Amino acid sequence: MRNAILAAVIATAGFSTSAIAEQHGMTIGVSWSNFQEERWKTDEAAIKAALEAAGAEYVSSDAQSSSSKQLSDVESLIAQGVDALIILAQDTQAIGPAVEAAFNEGIPVVAYDRLIEDDRAFYLTFDNVEVGRMQARAVLEAAPEGNYVMIKGSPTDPNADFLRGGQQEVLQEAIDAGKITIVGEAYTDQWLPANAQRNMEQILTAQDNKVDAVVASNDGTAGGAVAALTAQGMEGIPVSGQDGDHAALNRVALGTQTVSIWKDARELGREAGEIAIALASGTEMSAVEGAEEWTSPAGTTLTAKFLDPIPVTADNLTAVTDAGWIDVETLCQGVTGGPAPCN
Amino acid sequence: MSETDTVPNAAPSTRPAPTAPKRSFLSQLELDLRLLGMIGAFIIVCVVFNVLTDGRFLTPRNIFNLSIQTVSVAIMATGMVFIIVTRHIDLSVGALLATASAVMAMMQTRWLPDLVGLELGHPALPWLSIVAGLVVGAGIGAFHGWLVGYLTIPAFIVTLGGLLVWRNVAWYLTSGQTIGPLDATFQSFGGINGTLGAQWSWIVGAVGAVFAALAMLSARRNKAAHGFKVKPFWAEAAVIGIIVAAILGFVAVLNAYEIPSRVVARDFAARGLEVPEGYIAAYGIPYSVLLLVGVAVAMTVIARKTRLGRYIFATGGNPDAAELSGVNTRLLTVKVFALMGGLVAISAVVASARLTNHSNDIGTLDELRVIAAAVIGGTALSGGIGTIYGAILGALIMQSLQSGMAMVGVDAPLQNIVVGTVLVAAVLIDIIYRRRVGGK
Amino acid sequence: MTMQTDPRANGAKPLVELKDIRIAFGGVQAVDGVSLDLYPGEVVGLLGHNGAGKSTLIKILSGAYKADSGEIWINGEKATINSPRDARRYNIETIYQTLALADNLDASSNLFLGRELTTRLGFVDDARQEAETRKIMARLNPNFRKLSEPVSALSGGQRQSVAIARAVYFNARILIMDEPTAALGVHETAMVADLIKELKAQGLGIFLISHDTREMMDLCDRVSVMKNGQLIGTERVEDVTEDDILSMIIMGKNPKREAA
Repeated sequence: MRNAILAAVIATAGFSTSAIAEQHGMTIGVSWSNFQEERWKTDEAAIKAALEAAGAEYVSSDAQSSSSKQLSDVESLIAQGVDALIILAQDTQAIGPAVEAAFNEGIPVVAYDRLIEDDRAFYLTFDNVEVGRMQARAVLEAAPEGNYVMIKGSPTDPNADFLRGGQQEVLQEAIDAGKITIVGEAYTDQWLPANAQRNMEQILTAQDNKVDAVVASNDGTAGGAVAALTAQGMEGIPVSGQDGDHAALNRVALGTQTVSIWKDARELGREAGEIAIALASGTEMSAVEGAEEWTSPAGTTLTAKFLDPIPVTADNLTAVTDAGWIDVETLCQGVTGGPAPCN
Repeated sequence: MSETDTVPNAAPSTRPAPTAPKRSFLSQLELDLRLLGMIGAFIIVCVVFNVLTDGRFLTPRNIFNLSIQTVSVAIMATGMVFIIVTRHIDLSVGALLATASAVMAMMQTRWLPDLVGLELGHPALPWLSIVAGLVVGAGIGAFHGWLVGYLTIPAFIVTLGGLLVWRNVAWYLTSGQTIGPLDATFQSFGGINGTLGAQWSWIVGAVGAVFAALAMLSARRNKAAHGFKVKPFWAEAAVIGIIVAAILGFVAVLNAYEIPSRVVARDFAARGLEVPEGYIAAYGIPYSVLLLVGVAVAMTVIARKTRLGRYIFATGGNPDAAELSGVNTRLLTVKVFALMGGLVAISAVVASARLTNHSNDIGTLDELRVIAAAVIGGTALSGGIGTIYGAILGALIMQSLQSGMAMVGVDAPLQNIVVGTVLVAAVLIDIIYRRRVGGK
Repeated sequence: MTMQTDPRANGAKPLVELKDIRIAFGGVQAVDGVSLDLYPGEVVGLLGHNGAGKSTLIKILSGAYKADSGEIWINGEKATINSPRDARRYNIETIYQTLALADNLDASSNLFLGRELTTRLGFVDDARQEAETRKIMARLNPNFRKLSEPVSALSGGQRQSVAIARAVYFNARILIMDEPTAALGVHETAMVADLIKELKAQGLGIFLISHDTREMMDLCDRVSVMKNGQLIGTERVEDVTEDDILSMIIMGKNPKREAA
């Protein structure tokens, strides 16, 4: 009886089960949180290239900034029979049911760039603590002694504290040795350059301009800090940043910023594609090259891979132009007789 | 017959006695042409996507997914029918959903445990939270209705303000954080975390089928008792047969979606048992879908069989006439908006339970989906016309389009372009149809 | 026409007394101190130009408007009518010029709007409503067939029948008819006239508003003429000529009174 009804339903609805059983090459599904943001296009191209090289098919969906839609998207990708999922989560917790559904089907999940609080997902991102270390290292090299100002990120962003922690690790020794003194430290609300500029101005006033170096947590805040320094005629002292913003790279070429830590999205995308294929072929998460155990701030122990970012200084500016990240003209705007390739 | 279907009380078979001698097969069945049209459109959408996805669209699994994905918007769309029928609009449902969801999430994870001292996992938590959510939803809805009905502020303005207010009240309540995980019982209203299982699904399906058949037969008897002509018995039997087959077929499809073996293994392992050889379990009907069915039946009964429903449609058709006939149209407005608010709260349970968390962005743009579902379902913005089943079918068609296009891999901007076009085209077809059959 | 004796002469109590009714809309005095009465089994006609205040006066009695001042007495008792619902409680039924039908509903839903028949469980009993509608329609308009179509699909005469049926079904004692024949053909107008006579014979009191002076002379016992919100005069039809009435409407003067 049951089968008869089912058969009738299947027949009337007109779907063929045979097509599903057919074995295709590997298919990797990517669920983006918001493709309206420009930067993900670069990541997508890199993932596609990695999958193509491995003969796998790329399918994707865009949650358009909605965590509910992302859940439906992932369900739909699973229903399409993907072998592995790469998820850029809109919400680290609300994505939970989607990961649950994938795990139930035995589909591995790569948490792309943004943490998913679930030990069954493989977390792939750049090492933010290392970014902080690199920023401090570059500034320390340029100014081994003197008064330091720390321009931190947004107080609500956990990454801001990761960065600050990395910076402290590198500076600690010099602080202990009494070579450098941190004379000012401020969070930057919402990472806004204007807020960073205001904070920097206040610190400069309080310190009577006796500041020798600025460790800023990203290029936006670095821009604000440099503007404040320029107003006092102090541009040129060491300033750090990150993201490889075009304006920041230009400042590096001009000599008003020391370093911009650059996270190459193409590398992140390529790694994600490769790891997804590896996991789909049965590789254990812990067996992925470079994988390590890592405990999230919320206390979840998960498997993660942290990619090393590239510190871009006046010495290696050609790296970003060679990578096609920025063209020489934009990089060298207003620069005369600067470092390569602006000479 | 063709356009009486949009009239709440117009039972299609109560035609006056002398009818034309020649009646086609279809007209003898006295089916609702608009309903047939919508079902036809839905089937076309399904079949096209099924072909484009190599048969993956109409798998039990995807049908299961589609059902649970549709529930939240469909529940709200039934309430939106009444709002639009009374010539109002509610732009605040998505924001109100966020507030109701935030209240329920905060109740069960913070307020009740911290302030009242109920520990997490206490069996009363989810129910107290749901009651609080319903009270908040219906209360805010009633407040909107009072502003519209008694203070005569246009509903568009009241609910546009409400959109901003309630979205940010939700934000304020939770400080923008994701609140969760929610209570396990609460989560069971979300879809896959709460299903009846195969056996109970069959039982519920069978009871539903028997109930539907009896209801139709009793309506027929009642009509005959008052001396009205009823359709031939074979036609009645055929319609009943189709409906029973549809109910049981739906249950069969949902039961055909088997619980993945990993989950079964985990569940058995949790109880310290081995999985028996050849053990297969099915999800069956999700509670959330049952909830939608319940809401649909209740709202249809309200629309067709109660004074409230009659007054809603009369007021929509001619507010002055309703007022002159003794209908308190101001209080009616309050009731309609309060009902909408209550339904939004029910949707909030489903939406947050599905995410197993309250997220700050929950319900964003739902007002547009809900209005679109009601309108695609044949609700006329000029008032007085609309059906509950239409709105639910509208929601289902929209969700199928979106989900199907995501499956086929249509680019995100193109998806929205298609949905927008379909919305306008659906209304155009409806207008042409009404003009053809000579209604309003 | 031996029936045309003055009901007042029988010493009957007036059914309705309107005393010094006033209402203004935005500074315009729409009804300005009008007093009128109506006896059982009597038809009183209200005449006047558009905007003379007839419909407004009648809407105060039917509960659609609330008078600024003045009193309404029903059966010798002071009545409070704040809403159409109140008016229905006093068995006052109204056939509005606009008919006040919900176009999207069918005839029986309109007929019972606000007074639905319900089953034991409290649900609207559509089958019984339709059966009742069929009965009363068989009496009022035997050609009426479209019981389950929205009234928007009906002809003007059929719609009028629905509005009339709604007024007479619920045992009205006081009936207000605002231009009941405006949309009707000759045959249907005659039917309405017969109906008015029949209801009058049953002892109802009827206020009739119309532009057709000849029709009014034929149907009414008394006629009252209004102009600019004021009552010009009330006369028994056998005491005046059609020309007298017309001059009252146009000149706003009562020739009989002036002659006296």
